[in-house]
Amino acid sequence: MSDLLLIDRRWIARGAARSSTLRFALWLAPWIFLLLLGIYAAGLCLYYGLNQTNMDNRFAFGMWIFLDLAIIAMGAGAFFTGFLVYILKQKDLKPVLNSAVVVGLTCYSGAVAVLMVDVGQPLRAWFTFWYPNTHSMLTEVTFCISCYLLVLILEYIPVVLRNRQLRKVPSFLVFEHQFHKLVPVLAGVGTFLSFFHQGSLGGLYGVLRGRPFAYRAGFAIWPSTFFLFLLSAIAVGPSFLMLVTATAEKVTGRQLVQPGVYRKLGFISGVLLAVYVAAKAVDTLVWLNITSPSVGFGPRDFYSYWPLSSTFLFAAIVPLGLLPAILLIAPVTARKRGWLLCGATLACCGVLLNRFVFTIQTLALPTLAFDEFLSYIPSWQEVATFGAVIAYGVIVYSLSYRYLPLFEEGKGAGQHVSLG
Amino acid sequence: MFPWVDGFHWTMGHIVFLSLFFAAVLVIGSTLVSALLWTASDFRSRRAAELCWRINFRELPEAERHCRHEFAGRAPSRVCDNAFDCRSCQNYAKYAALPGKDFSRNRGVHYSVNLLYHRGHTWVRPRGDGTCTIGLDEFASRLIGKPDTVDLPAKNTELVSDGVAWRMTKNGREIRVRAPLDGTVLSTGGPEHEWFLKIRPHEPLNLRHLLSGAEVSGWLAAELDRLQLQLSAPNSAPCLADGGTLMPDLMDAVPQADWDAVLAATFLES
Repeated sequence: MSDLLLIDRRWIARGAARSSTLRFALWLAPWIFLLLLGIYAAGLCLYYGLNQTNMDNRFAFGMWIFLDLAIIAMGAGAFFTGFLVYILKQKDLKPVLNSAVVVGLTCYSGAVAVLMVDVGQPLRAWFTFWYPNTHSMLTEVTFCISCYLLVLILEYIPVVLRNRQLRKVPSFLVFEHQFHKLVPVLAGVGTFLSFFHQGSLGGLYGVLRGRPFAYRAGFAIWPSTFFLFLLSAIAVGPSFLMLVTATAEKVTGRQLVQPGVYRKLGFISGVLLAVYVAAKAVDTLVWLNITSPSVGFGPRDFYSYWPLSSTFLFAAIVPLGLLPAILLIAPVTARKRGWLLCGATLACCGVLLNRFVFTIQTLALPTLAFDEFLSYIPSWQEVATFGAVIAYGVIVYSLSYRYLPLFEEGKGAGQHVSLG
Repeated sequence: MFPWVDGFHWTMGHIVFLSLFFAAVLVIGSTLVSALLWTASDFRSRRAAELCWRINFRELPEAERHCRHEFAGRAPSRVCDNAFDCRSCQNYAKYAALPGKDFSRNRGVHYSVNLLYHRGHTWVRPRGDGTCTIGLDEFASRLIGKPDTVDLPAKNTELVSDGVAWRMTKNGREIRVRAPLDGTVLSTGGPEHEWFLKIRPHEPLNLRHLLSGAEVSGWLAAELDRLQLQLSAPNSAPCLADGGTLMPDLMDAVPQADWDAVLAATFLES
C-alpha cells in the first residue's frame, strides 16, 4: 500500500499540493461507476440497435444531439482561448490555457463518442469522409470536428509530456519543447476549423426549410443561425472555462488562477454575449415578422404548446442573455467573484437552453396540418450515456489536474532563504 | 473524397471544400512531422541534453536559481538567467570583480577549498594528468546515506554538463545526479570510494561555472536553510533551527518527510 502511495506521489508535479491517494480514489469512484453504467448503456445501443432509445423517425435528434451541441459550444473555450493567447497575444490568459485544452478535449471527444453511438452504424462512420456530401452542413461539421479533435489531441500531448515522470525521458522533453513552438500554428488551424463547425452546427438547423421554427434567412449560403451559434459558442466558452476553474478551486480548496484572469474571461464573455443577444433579438424579430409568416406560420404556431411556451424565448434573451452580459461587463459586479460566476452560470444556461430549443422544440412542433405536437422522454440508456460523458469529462479533468501542470502551481513557490 | 471515389464531382463545391479540408490536414500533419524532425535533429547534434537541462532550469522555483555572486555576497539578490552556466554569462566578470563577504561560518558540513562544487551537489577535483574525479558532496552524502543501488555509466560514456551522470535509488526513490562538466568516463568508483567517476574533460577545460571558496560556504548555508524549511512539520510557521549539524543518513532518520521535494531541490529537478 505504501508503495502505491509512493508511486502516486512520484507522478505529481513537484511543489503541487494534492489530496491523498485514498481521497482522490474516493472522489473518482462515483464518476467511474457512472462511466461504467454509461458504457454498458452505450453497449446495449450498439449491440441491439437504436430501439434501446426513445428516438424514432420523427425524433431523430434527441438527448444525445442536444448533449453534442451543448458540450461543443462549452468546449469552444479551448479554441477561443488559444486564439486569444497565441493569435491576439493576450498572454495574461496563459494560466488557463492548459485547462482550456483539457476542457476542449473532453468536450469534443465526448461528443464524438456519443455520435458514434448515435449514428447507429459506427462501423460505417467513415462513409461520411469517403463519400462526402459537400452540400451538407453536417458534412462540414463532421470534417471540422474530426480535424479539430486531432488538433486538441496534439495540443494535449505537450501537456501530458510535462508530467513529472514523463519529462525525465529526454526525447519526450525535447519533443515537448519543439512541439510547443509550433502550437500557435495549431491554434490558428483550430480557430479556422472551429469557426466553421461551430457555425455549421447552427447552420444545419437554419437550412431546414421544412421546419419553420428553425428555418432562417441569412447571407449567401449561410443562414443567420450559422453566425448566432458561432457567436454564442465563443461567448459562452470563456464563461464555461471560468466555471470549471472555479469548481476546481472549490473542490481542491486552492487558488489556481489570479482574480484578474476571471475578470478578463468574464469581460470577454460578457461583451460577446451582449453582441450575441443583440443579434439574436434582431434575428428573432426578422424571423417572427418576415421569414416565418412568408411560409404561413405565426408566433402562435410556435409558442402555444406547453411547456415550450414563449417563456423559453424570453428566458433565452433576457434573464439568460442580457442579464449575464451585464453581470459580466459591469465593473460593480465583475469585481465580485460571486456575481461573476453567477453571470457565467446564467450565460451557460442560456446557451444550453438555446441548443435544447433548436434540437427538441424544432422536432416537437407540428409542421403539417395533420401533425400533432410530439413529446419525447429519453430512455434510461440515453440518460446513462449522457451521464457517462459528464463522468468521462470529470475523470479526465481530475486526472489531468492531479498529474499534469494544468495551472502554474509551484512556480516560484520555493521559499526564498536569505543568507547570513 | 478523391476523384476515383464514387460520388466525386468536379464542381466548385467539391473542390473548394475538399481543398480546405486537405489543407487543414496537411498543416496539422506537417506540424507534427516538423516537431519530430527538430527533435531528431537535436539528438543528432547532441544538443538534446543541454536543451533538457535548460528547460528543467527554467522551471526550477526562483529560490533555487540564485546566482553564485549572491552566495559570495557580491550581489544583494540575483537570480540566474543562464542555466548556471557562468562560462557563457556576460555578467560574470562584472560581479566577480566586486569584493565578497565571508560566510565561512561552520555549518557542520565539510567542504574543501581544493574542490570545485556543482550546484547539483557534486564536487570536481582536477588532477595533474588532465583528468578530473567527481564525487558527491557531504551535504548530499549525509542526506542519502548509503544508497540502495548505484547505476554508474560505462567506461567511455560521454557526459554532458548538467545531464545525468549517474543514478541511485534510496528507499524506492530514484536520484539522478547531474554531471558537473563535459567529458569521457575513464573509470568508476562508487559510495565505498571517495569518488564516483573519473573523467577526461573535453578541451578546452573551463571550470568557471563551478563554485569555489566563499561561494561554497554561502551556497551550503542556503541549502541547509532550505532543507530545514522543507523538513519542518506541515502547516507550521517557518522557523530555522538554532544550532545543530546535519546528521548522517537523514533519509532513514526522517522517513516521513517529503523526500520527493527535498531530493528534487537538492539534485536540481523541476
